[in-house]
Amino acid sequence: MAVTAPLNETQVIANLGQSADPSAQYYAAWWLGKMRSRHPEAVPLLLKSLKALEQTPVEPDRRGVALNAIRALGRLGNPAARNPLCELLNSTDYTVREEAARSLGRLRDPAAVPGIRRLIESGTTVAGDEQAGSPLLKEPCEALIEALGDIGLCSAETLAAIRPFANHPRPLIRAAAYRALLQLTGDSSWGVQLIELLKHPEALVRRGALLDLGATGWTGAGSAICAAAVEPSLKLVALRSLAEHSEDPQVLRAMDALI
Amino acid sequence: MATAELTAAFARLDRATSTAELVQATQAIASLQDPEAAETLIKVLGFNNPAVASVATEGLIRLGCAVVPKLLVNLDARNYGARAWVVKVLATLRDPRGLELLEHALQADIAPSVRRAATRGLAELDLNNSRDADALRRCCDGLLLAGRDDEWVVRYAAAFGLERRLQHSNVSASMTDQALALLRQLSSSSEDVKVVRLRAQLALQRLNAE
Repeated sequence: MAVTAPLNETQVIANLGQSADPSAQYYAAWWLGKMRSRHPEAVPLLLKSLKALEQTPVEPDRRGVALNAIRALGRLGNPAARNPLCELLNSTDYTVREEAARSLGRLRDPAAVPGIRRLIESGTTVAGDEQAGSPLLKEPCEALIEALGDIGLCSAETLAAIRPFANHPRPLIRAAAYRALLQLTGDSSWGVQLIELLKHPEALVRRGALLDLGATGWTGAGSAICAAAVEPSLKLVALRSLAEHSEDPQVLRAMDALI
Repeated sequence: MATAELTAAFARLDRATSTAELVQATQAIASLQDPEAAETLIKVLGFNNPAVASVATEGLIRLGCAVVPKLLVNLDARNYGARAWVVKVLATLRDPRGLELLEHALQADIAPSVRRAATRGLAELDLNNSRDADALRRCCDGLLLAGRDDEWVVRYAAAFGLERRLQHSNVSASMTDQALALLRQLSSSSEDVKVVRLRAQLALQRLNAE
């Protein structure tokens, strides 16, 4: 069995509620998301920890707690988190925008679409351009595009905002665009593009494309996932996603062969 | 003494620098099906390169149960990736000598991929002799433990394994009850992960025990 500290939920809630020990808060925020806590205090306390992001300057320890809280709120699926997370898309902090987009994608919140789309509408030459002296793009494009696909609300504006990123120079940004366009349109030619990326020489790109294929739930990807030069653990994660979307017993058979 | 062909293949492996060269050299070693290659193939599992490790794994599996003692001795305790492949070889060979290592891997390994492969091994070790009743009980105990693991993929493997054991092994009545109770739990809403529920439901369906 995994070696996890035998913390109980009451203790974790108390740890998040105090403020003397930020590392205990940090762990507590992570734990509540990981364990899908249903404790009535969990969401209010996580939302409260986001307030640290409104201060100037933001305290680094409390920023860390808030980032974990954003992630946990995405996992807990409570609608009370929607508006506060949408607000965070306006943050000046790149990572806060990125994590907020990921969590809004998990929450499948259609009301978040305009706010997310606005951040990529400037296209590959602005939002998708590199920041000077940093490997980051100007906007967290991968997370933003993936969130639009996961939310699944298809409109001409959303497709027009995503499509230019299918030609972005970075393969993982292209993968995010193919994934979202497949999710939104159901057009399998985007899936074929993702399958092409499974042959990319860099393992990181192959892994990313594999997980993206799984996230789309497109069963046409099953045999390509099984055959890819990627470790079985990741193939299982991708196939899990396919199985849960499609409920196709063929996918379970493929998973049985990989365990 | 290694044959000239094997010595040449080892030299090619030593010179390899890219993944493609490592894969080709490992394939060349594996294709000789020479028991002398076992230690080298085991070493290759530790290169942290899945493409190469999967070729070495296939090679070790082709060498058959003769490699089991070497695998038990050469297991690198510090390398997660390598341990997962070794456990996978042992699980595929289904050699009962692997039982203790598989049990230990399931109970103590922090890497879910290792616990997953160990669970598969416990599902499939060849234990068809009646004198293996004790080993069969230990395998089933392991599968019941795996069904309570924190990681979904290990619980998934447990659902697969319990189905296997109930279908193909002579499992005692009380163990059968425990196994079915666990499968019912894994198929119910108390299980968070949908794919685990789907797999447990499939197992119950195949066992006619819904």
